[in-house]
Amino acid sequence: MSILELFLLQIKIVLLFGGLTIVVLSLTWLERRVLGKIQRRIGPNRVGPQGLLQPIADAIKLVTKEDIIPESADKLIYWLAPIVVFVPPFVIWVTIPIASNTTTLAVNNMHLGLLFVIALTVISITGLVMAGWGSANKYAILGGLRSTAQLISYEIPLIMVAISVLILCQTTDLKEIVDKQNIIPYALYLPLGLLLFFIAGIAEVGRVPFDIYHAESEIVGGPFVEYSGAHWSVFYLAEYIQTFTIAVLTTLLFLGGWHIPFISLEENIVLGFFITIIKAYAVVMIIFWFRGTFPRMRIDQLMAFAWKILIPLSFANVVISSGIIFYDIPLIVLSIINILITLAIGYVLYNKFTTPAKIDAEEMLRKARNYKLPEGI
Amino acid sequence: MLSSMRGLMTTISEFFRPIVTAQYPEKHLPIADRYMGFPVLMYDGVIDEPYCTGCMVCVRNCPTDCMSAIMKDNPKNESGESKRRKIIDEFEINLGRCILCGICVEVCNFDAIEMSHQHELSVVNRNGNRANLPQLLEMGKSYQAETNWTPPIKPPKESKE
Amino acid sequence: MSDQQSLNSVDMLLNMGPQHPSTHGVFRMVLQIDGERVLDVEPYIGYLHRGSEKLSEGEQYAQIITLFDRLDYLANFNNELVICMTVEKLMGVEVPERAEYIRVILCELNRIASHFLFYGTMGMDAGASTPILYGFRDREKIQSLFESVSGARMMHNYFKIGGIKADLPSDFFEKIQWLLNEIKQGVDQADSLLSFNEIFLNRTRNIGIINSEDALDFGLTGPNLRASGVPYDIRKNDPYSIYDRFSFDIPIGDRGDVWDRYFVRIQEIRESVKIIEQALKQIPDGEITANVRRIARPPKGDIFVHAENPRGDFGVYLVSDGSDKPYRLKIRPPSFCSLMALKHMMRNAYVSDAVMILGSIDIVLGEVDR
Repeated sequence: MSILELFLLQIKIVLLFGGLTIVVLSLTWLERRVLGKIQRRIGPNRVGPQGLLQPIADAIKLVTKEDIIPESADKLIYWLAPIVVFVPPFVIWVTIPIASNTTTLAVNNMHLGLLFVIALTVISITGLVMAGWGSANKYAILGGLRSTAQLISYEIPLIMVAISVLILCQTTDLKEIVDKQNIIPYALYLPLGLLLFFIAGIAEVGRVPFDIYHAESEIVGGPFVEYSGAHWSVFYLAEYIQTFTIAVLTTLLFLGGWHIPFISLEENIVLGFFITIIKAYAVVMIIFWFRGTFPRMRIDQLMAFAWKILIPLSFANVVISSGIIFYDIPLIVLSIINILITLAIGYVLYNKFTTPAKIDAEEMLRKARNYKLPEGI
Repeated sequence: MLSSMRGLMTTISEFFRPIVTAQYPEKHLPIADRYMGFPVLMYDGVIDEPYCTGCMVCVRNCPTDCMSAIMKDNPKNESGESKRRKIIDEFEINLGRCILCGICVEVCNFDAIEMSHQHELSVVNRNGNRANLPQLLEMGKSYQAETNWTPPIKPPKESKE
Repeated sequence: MSDQQSLNSVDMLLNMGPQHPSTHGVFRMVLQIDGERVLDVEPYIGYLHRGSEKLSEGEQYAQIITLFDRLDYLANFNNELVICMTVEKLMGVEVPERAEYIRVILCELNRIASHFLFYGTMGMDAGASTPILYGFRDREKIQSLFESVSGARMMHNYFKIGGIKADLPSDFFEKIQWLLNEIKQGVDQADSLLSFNEIFLNRTRNIGIINSEDALDFGLTGPNLRASGVPYDIRKNDPYSIYDRFSFDIPIGDRGDVWDRYFVRIQEIRESVKIIEQALKQIPDGEITANVRRIARPPKGDIFVHAENPRGDFGVYLVSDGSDKPYRLKIRPPSFCSLMALKHMMRNAYVSDAVMILGSIDIVLGEVDR
């Protein structure tokens, strides 16, 4: 590489880092305002106009807090754990393209981009185990092991759905995947895949309804319990970066990236950039919407949901899509089969959970109406 | 699945409704007419003296013993201006102890004490919650101005004791 | 089990201390857990003990009403009603009709407010962050109506021995029509957001089961008992005040799990709305207080009166010696007696379920500790 190329690479990396930091800070502000609006209250609005400087105030507070390290903690692992959790999401961003014309707006768009992304997502799980072990706190160890079990289980549907997209488009280059969606986004061929990827992605990040391993209204904060101040803020930021990564991956793999669906436009880098960002933010808003609505699942129910529902469905998705591509069946069949499976699963879940409850509710009302005063009480 | 969708629809419909909170302290929520705030003493503007005669009925009936009072002979009675034979000399309410129950207002025979609409209590010194007679009369005057208070018409006197 | 004994492991003690986001009030629970399962639970109470029963021996009856407001601080009117009924029964005072109707309307509104708070905290224990804000929004509407009637949002001191303090304000009837509409929408929203949500059902069905014989043995009352299948509501079985003039249903559960206890309360909100609507149609004009002395002096004797609070059977046993202060006042708090069943409900539970079970009994520490 010549000096000029190296220099250009440096500039790109600095811009990427800067952009990501701004995005993550804006996500923290956006989440609190959106949650506030859902709950019919104002979010933060005191620090700066409309509270836009709130993330900076949070950062200052966290950095100036005292870093307490427990005495019996394993110092090396305790210090390494935040780094192992924080760095891989940034490294993933090296290969994610945001817009494309004749040049691609990515730091280094690799030919095996999708594989690279999937491989690196798994590294941050190690960091959580290290955080749990290094804290020398029995609740942290429990939380770390719980989180590892959860994250490993939810990696499988994520990877399987990515494979089914791979089968549809026959390439792992992320730019090519998006370019193949310039008329019809893959969400229309693989709606079940989109749903599975989205849910597995939320579980990977550790957001409601899958956030039991660091939930605050349960007993302790999981593997993060002994971290305070700047250390903890690293974990906090890593969660938001991973959220945004999942959102951007959903956009690129399923929603058509920087193309406007059904319209074949002459490609413009600036327009493409904004379209990707808008789509990614829309997905992020849906993640916040889920946070405002759902309660959280218990750890064994979470694992049952992954192993009994998501993994079989994602395997079925791979088999069906590979069958359809191999036999050259028109792709509309794929979307029909996907929609049918989604409806069937939804109906089965409804029957299993909600219908007994509604029957009980009816029974309760019936008994209420036929209430007779018992004798002798 | 379907019930989760219903939950999501509920939340998104609440997203578009107006907020129900008000940003304090720029905006205050409206206070009802009957709101029981801190007890304050009423001032008789006609005769230019407080209504309170220091009879101590409210002090005796307070559940938390937050008041103390001292009465004195009324100089204005000797000169014939006022019918009150005794008048209040010193009065102190510990507003931090008051539980805003309104019993003092019920038992007062002279309509001298009323519950104002003030409810905000932040002070910068330890005993700043104790309100003495000039402060209570001051708060009472602002309550009278705000609500156009007139003494209620007394029912014909029956011996109720 | 045998290799655990040979490993000589000690079970872990987990302290959910007095300051905790999930225990409702200053309540301390020590759980003995084995991995994820709860083996034993030991509750510690007394962090909010204020000596109410002893204090009331030194206060006149008008002042005791202010004390009773603060016992179960989420159902103030219901507590005031019980102490007023106790003294009135002992003195033989008859409360005028209009006052009785106003008392019933306000008590039922307070029941609705308390159950809305229960709905909110139940959602929060399960991990959802919006139900509590929706519950409090509806509670605020009810409390601003209370403010216009009695002068205070929470500690009202509005019921007096023999009646009530002042008549209703002039705009009460239109406000309450609007409010009943809002309450109906609020409880429908609660149903659509949380009651039949699959994740919530998963968290609450078949958890913390207590069957009807055990519930009666442990002394559970109120919605907890009705959720286990025992048809007992003091408003129907042993009617006090004017409850025998209204027609309303009592929701009765089947299994006695957490969801039944939750849903019984949601249904009770709807039934209370029915009671209020009937009372508003029947309310007569008239006096609001009986002709009693300002200082009440009940004759010598003792009496026990109980009523249906939102949490259960709230009872007061009063021993009077003829003076203006009671000789002994004993309070039977429903939450205290319901806490006896906690260990039985938590057998075979996970740690995450312990929080839900405690939330479903709906305790208020002001009552438990007095």
